[in-house]
Amino acid sequence: MRFLLRSGVSLGGVIPTRIEELAGALEARNYLAGDDLVVAIHLALQLGRPLFLEGEPGVGKTEVAKVLSDMTGEQLIRLQCYEGLDVGQALYEWDYARQMLEIRLVEARGGDVGSKDIMSRDFLVARPLLQAIEASRNGRRAVLLIDELDRADEEFEAFLLELLSDFQVTIPEIGTISADDPPIVIITSNRTREIHDALKRRCIYHWIDYPDRDTETAIVRRKVPGIDEALAGSLASAMARLRSMNLFKPPGVAETLDWAESLRLLDSGSLTPELIDRTLGVVLKYKDDIEAVREAGVEELVG
Amino acid sequence: MTTTLGDLTSFARELRDAGLGVTPDQIAHMGQALTLVDPAHEPSVRAAFRSLTITDPGQIETFETVFDAFFHRVAEEDAPVYSPEYTQPKAVKPLFAPAEPAPVGDVDTRTGSSATERLAARDFADMDEDQLAEARRLVTTMFWRPPVTRTRRWIPDGGGQRPDMRRTLRRSVGPGGDLLPIEMRRRRVRQRPLIIIADISGSMERYAELFLVFAHAARQHLGSVEVFTFSTRLTRITDDLDRRDVKSALASVGGTVLDWSGGTKIGDALAAWNRQWSRRLARGGPVALVLSDGWDCGDPELLAREAGRLSRSVHRLIWLNPLAARQDYRPETRGMKAVLPHIDRLLPAASVDDLAGLVSLLDTMAMNSPS
Repeated sequence: MRFLLRSGVSLGGVIPTRIEELAGALEARNYLAGDDLVVAIHLALQLGRPLFLEGEPGVGKTEVAKVLSDMTGEQLIRLQCYEGLDVGQALYEWDYARQMLEIRLVEARGGDVGSKDIMSRDFLVARPLLQAIEASRNGRRAVLLIDELDRADEEFEAFLLELLSDFQVTIPEIGTISADDPPIVIITSNRTREIHDALKRRCIYHWIDYPDRDTETAIVRRKVPGIDEALAGSLASAMARLRSMNLFKPPGVAETLDWAESLRLLDSGSLTPELIDRTLGVVLKYKDDIEAVREAGVEELVG
Repeated sequence: MTTTLGDLTSFARELRDAGLGVTPDQIAHMGQALTLVDPAHEPSVRAAFRSLTITDPGQIETFETVFDAFFHRVAEEDAPVYSPEYTQPKAVKPLFAPAEPAPVGDVDTRTGSSATERLAARDFADMDEDQLAEARRLVTTMFWRPPVTRTRRWIPDGGGQRPDMRRTLRRSVGPGGDLLPIEMRRRRVRQRPLIIIADISGSMERYAELFLVFAHAARQHLGSVEVFTFSTRLTRITDDLDRRDVKSALASVGGTVLDWSGGTKIGDALAAWNRQWSRRLARGGPVALVLSDGWDCGDPELLAREAGRLSRSVHRLIWLNPLAARQDYRPETRGMKAVLPHIDRLLPAASVDDLAGLVSLLDTMAMNSPS
């Protein structure tokens, strides 16, 4: 709430205030978002809430943060999550080497070292979360990507819940450091485990699905310049069929783009069964899945 | 489409009735959202409200049902009022299926007889009702300690292997002195999750009953345990086993599981697990226990493939086969032959002794040593 009132004054500028402008700005950056996703992004930007994106791998979750960073002209601050991620890696860490050096220096001059001398901001190394807080001042809002939160453990999630509610940190030796405006936060999850409901409730939630055939064709044509329109279309159709095949790991849009790029390199004008057979490894990454598709017949993917 | 604050409150109430928790904060945000998107454009309002209220893709359908019912009614009526006769949509999943007759008889709590030792070694299939009751009691009281793994988190430990710079520096600025005492730290350990998948087909009936008592004890004592059953289909029964009392837990399982004593399709069950649950539950290096005698009427190639996939996604795959308790047992059924190359251990599970042996194996399972 606090943020809504305050950001109402300082926002504007590079963040589109109208939803149509936002849709245009995303498209201009070659991000073809569905209408619902545009609404979710708009709400997140205007309400100052984190955007929580879930979906199968490779549907363009991380890409949203990159596009928003480009749109706002703010640097993208990225926190890649992993098990055991702790405050020292995510928020801040003391610069021990400098602290030791300082102790030695002061002592060499015959002085006494107090905790105030070596426990100040100068001796602090800012990690992504603190960087984002410190970069969200004076009317600026950093773009913070918290990627693959499902890889972090529950302890980190609990810590993040606290941080996301007020974007301030209290460092016992220094005091409280806070953001003027909430950073633009994008949280992604591949859903390898459930993220706690309390955290998701603080966010604008959106499930990114696989794009429909026409959208995927359009994405391919924008991202892989020079690709034949018909080829882009048959790639999108083939992908839709692959995704309906109950594979262990259905391919995402990222795989579609890799595939399109490969076919362009091979200078192929159309998608033939032989070509699919030879390039299947670009799209499917599990031996079982490749075998399943070959068994069903690669020609099923054409036409 | 015009929406008042009163509408929003009623809408939130209907969402809550349908099983979606909505906080006052979220209602306020829905109100603000109406100033941010075109309130007359239904798809935008729908997307906005959805992104503000759901927290899981499984809730999308529920949300859509409530949204359609509510706003179409609001659009029809001029004065939007909450109508009690509105039939509430089905919640995503019922909390508990109606309790049906328990698959096992009463759990007897009589004190152990002098024959306990002999009973412990006896095959479940050869027991009478009294002996079975006693066996259940023995299984329930087994002492559990989970296998552990080292996490990536650190805790202070004077005998640890790595210096703890943070604490060292903090201590060093206290009362002066030339010596800098180095604080040490080590990796913390945590328990490995346990995944239990039990065959409840006809040939396994009696063993499965006892094994579910065993699984209940595991769930109660360890917490981080997921339990599934299968004969022709895979069913997750973890929630049922959360009931404290073993009798009502098993009664609840009886209501949830629909394929008791059916045929056996082990490969299909493992395939379903690998696709629906593996990515969510196979984190943190779990130990998987599969209980089955290997009598399979499915495709052995499928079984081999899926057992292989399962074994690659967990830390250890332990196969429990009641028949393996017999002296002359050879894993010669098609099913057992198919899974044999993929499992870490094949253990018997026909008596209280066997289950106790399993508990102590899990107990001693060293962190990273081969099984």
